[in-house]
Amino acid sequence: MLSRQLLGRVGAALVDQGGLTALCLCLASLPAAAQSFRVQCPSSTTLHGSDTSSAYLGPVNRTATITRADGTHTSLAVVDNGGGIKCQQISGGDGFATMGDGTPTYLFGFGPLSGLADQVSGNPGTEPAHVFNQSNIAGGSVIDDIAIGAPTPTGYTFNGAVGLVPDPEVGGIDGHIDPRLVMDVGVMNANMPAPLMAIDEDDEFFLTLTNVGQVMRPDLFEQHTVHFHGYPNASSFYDGVPDASIAINIGGSFTYYYLAPDAGTYFWHCHISPPEHLQMGMVGQLYVRPRQNRVPVGTNLYTSLQLQQNDLRTKCGKDVLCSSPLPASNTGAQQVNNPRVTDPNHPQPQAQMYAYNDGDGSTAYDVEYPIQIHGFDPNFHFVGMTFNPESFTDLKDKYFLLNGRSYPDTVQPGAMTTQSTDGTMHSSQPLPTIINIPVGGKALLRISDLDVTEYQTLGALGIPMHVVGLNARLLRDLAGNDMTYKTNSITLAGGESLDVILDATGYAAGQKFYLYTPNLDHLSNDAENFGGLMTEINICPADHPKINPTTKACSI
Amino acid sequence: MRATIANDRANRVQPLLLTMAVAAASLLATNAHAAAPGITGTTFNLDAKAAYITQPDGASIYSWGFGCNPDAGPSGYAPAAMAGTCPDMQLPGPTLIVNEGATITITLTNSLPAAAGNTSMLFPGFDVTASGADAVDGLLTKEAPTGKTVTYTFKANSVGTHSYHSGTQADLQVEMGLYGAIIVLPNLSSAVTTACSNSTNDQARAHDFGQGVEQDFRLAKAAYNHSATCYDREYLFQLSEIDPKIHRAAEEIADCTPEGNGGKSCPNNMSSVMTEQYRPAYYLVNGRSMPDDMDPSYVTQYPHQPYNGNPHMHPGEMVLLRVIGQGRWQHPLHEHGNHVRLLARDGNLLLAPAAINGEPEPRLAGPLLFTTTSTPGQAMDGLFYWTGKGLNWDVFGHGYAGDSSVCVPDANGYYTSNPAAQNYYEWCADHNKPLESKPFGTVGSGGPVTLPDPNIVANGAWYGGSPYLGGEATSRAVGSTPIPPSGTVGNSPTDEAGFAFMWHSHNEREITTNNIFPGGMMMMMLVDPRAFLIDEAK
Repeated sequence: MLSRQLLGRVGAALVDQGGLTALCLCLASLPAAAQSFRVQCPSSTTLHGSDTSSAYLGPVNRTATITRADGTHTSLAVVDNGGGIKCQQISGGDGFATMGDGTPTYLFGFGPLSGLADQVSGNPGTEPAHVFNQSNIAGGSVIDDIAIGAPTPTGYTFNGAVGLVPDPEVGGIDGHIDPRLVMDVGVMNANMPAPLMAIDEDDEFFLTLTNVGQVMRPDLFEQHTVHFHGYPNASSFYDGVPDASIAINIGGSFTYYYLAPDAGTYFWHCHISPPEHLQMGMVGQLYVRPRQNRVPVGTNLYTSLQLQQNDLRTKCGKDVLCSSPLPASNTGAQQVNNPRVTDPNHPQPQAQMYAYNDGDGSTAYDVEYPIQIHGFDPNFHFVGMTFNPESFTDLKDKYFLLNGRSYPDTVQPGAMTTQSTDGTMHSSQPLPTIINIPVGGKALLRISDLDVTEYQTLGALGIPMHVVGLNARLLRDLAGNDMTYKTNSITLAGGESLDVILDATGYAAGQKFYLYTPNLDHLSNDAENFGGLMTEINICPADHPKINPTTKACSI
Repeated sequence: MRATIANDRANRVQPLLLTMAVAAASLLATNAHAAAPGITGTTFNLDAKAAYITQPDGASIYSWGFGCNPDAGPSGYAPAAMAGTCPDMQLPGPTLIVNEGATITITLTNSLPAAAGNTSMLFPGFDVTASGADAVDGLLTKEAPTGKTVTYTFKANSVGTHSYHSGTQADLQVEMGLYGAIIVLPNLSSAVTTACSNSTNDQARAHDFGQGVEQDFRLAKAAYNHSATCYDREYLFQLSEIDPKIHRAAEEIADCTPEGNGGKSCPNNMSSVMTEQYRPAYYLVNGRSMPDDMDPSYVTQYPHQPYNGNPHMHPGEMVLLRVIGQGRWQHPLHEHGNHVRLLARDGNLLLAPAAINGEPEPRLAGPLLFTTTSTPGQAMDGLFYWTGKGLNWDVFGHGYAGDSSVCVPDANGYYTSNPAAQNYYEWCADHNKPLESKPFGTVGSGGPVTLPDPNIVANGAWYGGSPYLGGEATSRAVGSTPIPPSGTVGNSPTDEAGFAFMWHSHNEREITTNNIFPGGMMMMMLVDPRAFLIDEAK
């Protein structure tokens, strides 16, 4: 919408000036006639020789060779902190979600076009390059997982990029996309919230947005973008603001490139006409895990954080925006194996995870829960589906959402599906918000809010909320003093995030608590006077005291 | 009084259309900049008065505002590098720029319509003495009756950014526009003065990169008497809303005549104006909505809204943000581009409890925020900068064949040793690192990505024309036919080609103007290359 209106103004301004330049601009702004879907996910780069993350042992200064386009080579100094190469593909389009009172609601939305098996089981769809770069063709035919309505909630296994097939001209997997496969899966596959993204600090992240169009709104020619909200020292080119950069038209793909920045809970959303596209559902979650997770077991965490001061990018010095100040003193905390987690599909034991590079273990957690707060105004969504003029002044949310669901849907395990206008069930809301905490353990709630109309409050009944991070930064002053605090409620505006640790120490196995909004009128699902912004917190039962950090299930 | 207002409105119909046209054109054609302008001195003669402000949807909104008494104007304007004006009514009111420790005297004349009743000023954070022979006691302070004056005196002993606003029937009078800002400049110790003087950024500002020498638009060298609060530029954003229904109701009473009221007598006060239900339709930065906020300060098309919101900065410049919540609602101001270090709330510097051994002053203790919520009546100061550090690609597009540029890292990794270099303050670790695999133009190649075909993307009005910073790099990257063409955008690809970032309310419905997107509480911040001269007076 923004681009359309501004281009209208550009056009008006150009009438006065005349000339061919105006024609060029207008041509460049029209949707291209042909599709131009493509993904980018190199298996190695100048910074990363492979896509696999390595242990963090401090910055390594090394020389890398760049092969220029003309075939010549250049040597460059590189500061290597490990990390790998992660890729993800998302669709920009539309679809439907099911509200807490059973109403199907129209979305402008993003859907998964890679990592579908992980997404539908509630995990990030961000994949290492070798997982992403899988052909959709096996044995001469398209694999069964590439189908209208994919992914199915159970039995789905494919995590590669949708549409990826051998390049007919060059051979091999080089990012060439068969658009038929992308359209089969991508049309009407909007998710609420948008696909979950998670990267490790120092990763290179190749994020491809593929605009499949909005079949319910053939009158629109909406571009979409990705705004990585909170990215430090962002380039405007990859910041996703269409006014300040370029926006991808229907039928095209745009690959965003990021070096995973300082650890923290960020989020992402479309930045085209934000009051409209955010209200309509183009909001998602994104977090960056700290390199402290990759410190070898037995290493002193303070010493490890001191190593970050050897890298000028993370050195504090007199930098007022320094993100990782050392704690005031060395507590002697070491990286350890975590006895409270178990996952049969991953090597045991698993190292302790942290929300931030804290240097003292103060942000340790056993299991993390991304929780996004949002609100839907059903009138606006109806107007958005039915070609009517929109009102912003009178926006009033009636559905209050945690991860795209209202209570009691928030505590229904597994992915939710919604029948779309094509008669097919589509995965629509993959994320429950069932908070299981291992006995005596800690859960990290990565809470973000993308409501477009009002502030929202979340309270915890009975178990204190320990706020350790705010706006993707550890709460610690520049002298290393602890600025974290305990509370029983947090309040966020749209465009804010914070990190809460729930500590089950001292609580009995099997206890149940509630996470709910004290804005009591938000405990409703439109006309139903019950539901809304609420979910459940469970301390794992005594016979299943551990947690599986992938499935989030209590385990033995 | 009423006749004057009616004439004022009639006269404004024609200029309003002109204003609209200018606003639409200037959205794309000018390089408006910003500063934190205001009036200086120790004695201020203000009045409270009615006038019409304009909004980009064409609305002319009856408002009340503080302004300078035309018979006793301010003793000066700041910053010195820009010429100021102070109309008899403005929204927000004049920014009062004063020095720490000075005794400030403000004499307010109530020139509001009689039905508005008394008015007054509150200065939260200061110990105020109110006086005046004609002043009357109000609920919160002494008030000036219609046509009379009241005098407020206080010592400016709280450094930093503060609000002032009406303390009389404030639910109506503040909504009508009776608010403003007061900035108290610190007395700096010689150590802080030294720490904040002759920086390489000062030297770069004094260097002529081809468009002349930049002027200094700071009000002071530091926000507080603390060496971690030195800054290079500063911007003041006052965030508020307007519910046009309230303004219309007040206007009807102010304009009421018995003849026009069916022979009935007119209300003699504003008590019938409903200030609930509150349903704002305009969301303002310094009294203007986007795109008007990005026109220059003091331009004639906004005679009662002199202050703009259009921040510019060069890479590596420390920018002081002064943000005040002047409306009834909280607004989450999201600063694209980087985090903000919160320095102070209501002029109270947030510091660690004690200095670390060997250091002369305690370190900063405010949080890092990417969204700074404004709260009604509260002011915050914060520090922001942008350098492009850590992107893993060279934003200047260096590394092409024949490139002779250099980047010598200082102790923090930036190229600051040559303040005359085009790539002064470049992040050296990324110097020569290519972005594009096989670029079209003359920039480093062999990078990780391929850009999309220009035929399948839409270009933004503030798009610099390439992924790279500056006209020189953009020209190399795209050749002689940049898209969008020069002269068509507010960020010329051949000249400015800055990195544009949206600073806006993230309660996104507030970036609309009376249901029209885009608009409202939004502005574009430009990170400009060194070669581009930032003139905040424009």
